[in-house]
Amino acid sequence: MSENATFQIHYFSTASAYTGKSTERLPAPLPVARLFDVLEERYPGMRKAVLGSCGLSVGDEYVDLDAELGVGQSSEGRVVIKEGEEVAVIPPVSSG
Amino acid sequence: MSNLPQQQQQQSDPSSPLPPHLDPITYPRIITDPTLNIHLTLTYTPLNPSNTLTHVFSPSAGANVLFLGTTRDTFENRPVAQLSYTSYPPLALKSMRRIAEEAVRTHNLTGLVIEHRLGVVPVGEASIAIAVSSGHRAAAWAAGEEVLERCKEGVEIWKREEFVDGGKCWRENRERDGEGNLITGSKS
Repeated sequence: MSENATFQIHYFSTASAYTGKSTERLPAPLPVARLFDVLEERYPGMRKAVLGSCGLSVGDEYVDLDAELGVGQSSEGRVVIKEGEEVAVIPPVSSG
Repeated sequence: MSNLPQQQQQQSDPSSPLPPHLDPITYPRIITDPTLNIHLTLTYTPLNPSNTLTHVFSPSAGANVLFLGTTRDTFENRPVAQLSYTSYPPLALKSMRRIAEEAVRTHNLTGLVIEHRLGVVPVGEASIAIAVSSGHRAAAWAAGEEVLERCKEGVEIWKREEFVDGGKCWRENRERDGEGNLITGSKS
């Protein structure tokens, strides 16, 4: 729809330390399979340093990253982040 | 270092305001299940263990266990000034609820409380409180430990150690076991 369509993405822990921010907006729609490429372009080195150990949620559900980023898949992943959705990068937790 | 949680400190882009569920002003966030007698809380204010326990007391409970995780003043001999916690509540409360419901059903508990403090937690103060009650002691002891370990494994909350020397470090629970020892094979 509009050219300014975006979704909000939140960063926590090591992900927020790497990006230097806790939240931002990125252009929507965006396939989950492309998201890590977009983040790597914006924050060079982030994939190796941070994203490799992170989960990802869209809304309040985790995305199956193995399926979405699956090695050898010819087509792009099935989950597409839509305008207005809320995405979070979830590093290994340290509650308690 | 201000007392503001990390989301506020790093918030700089006015085009990306925080949604209400990440805004500390909207806390505490509390979920209760009256049927299972479950109480779950995320809060930026100090925990009150006496109040925590009152949620699990009942005539049918003969055993009441309270665990408090408090900020220790050192990490590997390096003096710690304070801890700072951030959370992603949509997932954290969902995980806490799943853990709590499973524990109540598995151990036939009469009550269960999980409370986690967010933002700055000074040395000596509690970041997590778990209270469990059951008819007899075995179930309460076992469930208390199990709930804590499952929370540390999977609840979407992150701890940053802030050292007296000014350094800061995000922690990962998967790196340490219940005795504080490094788990072989974990990252870094």
